[in-house]
Amino acid sequence: MPVRRGFPRARLAESTARLLGNKLALVGLVISAVVVGLILLAPILAPYRPDAIDYRALLQAPSAAHPLGADDLGRDVLTRTLYGGRLSLAVSLTSVLLAVAVGVPLGLLAGYVGGATDEILMRLVDSLMALPSLVLALTITAVLGPGLVNAMFAIAVVGLPAITRLVRGQVLTIKHNDYVLAARSVGVRPAVLVMRHIMPNVLGPVLVQAALGIGFAIITESSVSFLGLGAQPPTATWGSMVQVGFQYLETAPWIALAPAAMIFVAVLGFNLLGEGLRGSLDPTSRSAT
Amino acid sequence: MLNYAARRLLGTIPVIFLTSVIVFGLMRMLPGDPVQLLVGQSQAEVSAATIATIRHEYRLDEPIYVQYLAWAGHALSGDFGRSLQNREPVWQVLRPRILPTMQIGLTAWILAIVVSVPLGAITARRPGSAADWIGTGAALTGAAMPYFLVGGLLIYFVALRWGLLPPSGYVPPTQGILASARSTILPALTLSLGLGAVIARQSRASFGEVLQFQYIRSARAKGLSETKVMTHHAFKNAMLPVVTILGVQLATMFSGAVVTETIFAIPGIGRLLVDSILGRDYTVVQAVVLFITVLVVLANLLVDLLYGLLDPRIRRA
Repeated sequence: MPVRRGFPRARLAESTARLLGNKLALVGLVISAVVVGLILLAPILAPYRPDAIDYRALLQAPSAAHPLGADDLGRDVLTRTLYGGRLSLAVSLTSVLLAVAVGVPLGLLAGYVGGATDEILMRLVDSLMALPSLVLALTITAVLGPGLVNAMFAIAVVGLPAITRLVRGQVLTIKHNDYVLAARSVGVRPAVLVMRHIMPNVLGPVLVQAALGIGFAIITESSVSFLGLGAQPPTATWGSMVQVGFQYLETAPWIALAPAAMIFVAVLGFNLLGEGLRGSLDPTSRSAT
Repeated sequence: MLNYAARRLLGTIPVIFLTSVIVFGLMRMLPGDPVQLLVGQSQAEVSAATIATIRHEYRLDEPIYVQYLAWAGHALSGDFGRSLQNREPVWQVLRPRILPTMQIGLTAWILAIVVSVPLGAITARRPGSAADWIGTGAALTGAAMPYFLVGGLLIYFVALRWGLLPPSGYVPPTQGILASARSTILPALTLSLGLGAVIARQSRASFGEVLQFQYIRSARAKGLSETKVMTHHAFKNAMLPVVTILGVQLATMFSGAVVTETIFAIPGIGRLLVDSILGRDYTVVQAVVLFITVLVVLANLLVDLLYGLLDPRIRRA
């Protein structure tokens, strides 16, 4: 990854132009924007309240009254999919932000200080990465207790090692650049050196990893909820809706299909966006377009 | 090569040690008294002396590091304690679960490699072509589809609507090879999609890079067929980065197995983990997580050794 100082306006414009010129990234941007837009407009678009029970519409197939059908309690699937997406996306975004908030300082510390600090941190990171992500998320959720907030912390812990390793790797390269050595030689304090000269150059790859991490977090949260350890009834997220829907897969497949399809579309959008960001912030990287 | 193998093997020891500490520590952080879990609802009728005896028997009255050392020492000899739910030795609970997971996981892994590596090579040969777009689209779609969506669609159409394969359950090979294969096709297909998507993208990137090298142009200029160029000249170098991610794929496979085995009611390690967590059988959870992690670490070690065999520069570094 080419290393430059800070983010001057011209560089931002250049990266934006590359992003918008990347077809897959544009598709990802549009898909992500549509998904987020639908979710934010849930109070306007949803025809019912998410907890509104209609015993006359139990397991009803898609119809004019219920465009995506109704579930086992007669609740509108379209409404619950839109509102469930708010929680799914909120949990995913928050867990990624948490992972970045903790992982970036850890990576900066490990990369800049080096020595025993780096060794200890990296061995801990290696150990966390040795555990399969969903296995680790489930185990942490089991310790903290089932629930959406605990699942969010678990997903943040799972995403933390990748961010830490990425930042550390960047710092190891950047700290030997001439401008960093020059700043150190004139007596700039380490904290100022890291924050002003090193961290801005690390943000690009972190942004890419964060965008890709949102898709990963959505899948992990939905898997944890699907397995019964995330959102607890009556709270609905996409994953918990799929869990309920699976019991009626043969008779009422729409209950599971609608939220599962939204998960797929959202993850696809964020993954494409992340790949596009990678290409725009690092012109030497290769992509399909 | 021996030095390289020894160095890599020694490097896995601190990782396994730290992971075992993390797993043990996480289980000790579980809310509630472990003795409560052991005696169950009848705790009110159990005397304080009996509770003290149980606590002593399970070493719960000793410092945490002593508990860890005792547990680790026993674990090294295959003794992971007893299940809190049915009091059976944990290894007896875990052992029969290994075969279903390995059978489905290996099938999925082989399927993913057999389909995705050639797919990546084909799409890399003509970047920007229709084949490239279709292949890349398929890989991106596969990576974005959660396991329960793939599994749900396969169950609904293949099993329930068309009746071609069983929707759930597992038949061990000892009860019939054909029946066993039929029971593992759908779960293996479900798992292979996610694995294959990553392999396909890496394969495309690797072949795309290798096909730009001068020696490939020389091979083509000599008049070699495209098949010979791809298989004899490009394949080995392009496979190096792909081999690297194959080890990581094992971790992904176990993550996928947790969901897939739940969907298809397969009595494997993944489902055992979920059931143990929901049943608060923390001795089993501890053992399963450690077992999975050791397998993943050893698989990555094998991949590193394979990498050293494929590329002499690595083992000389």
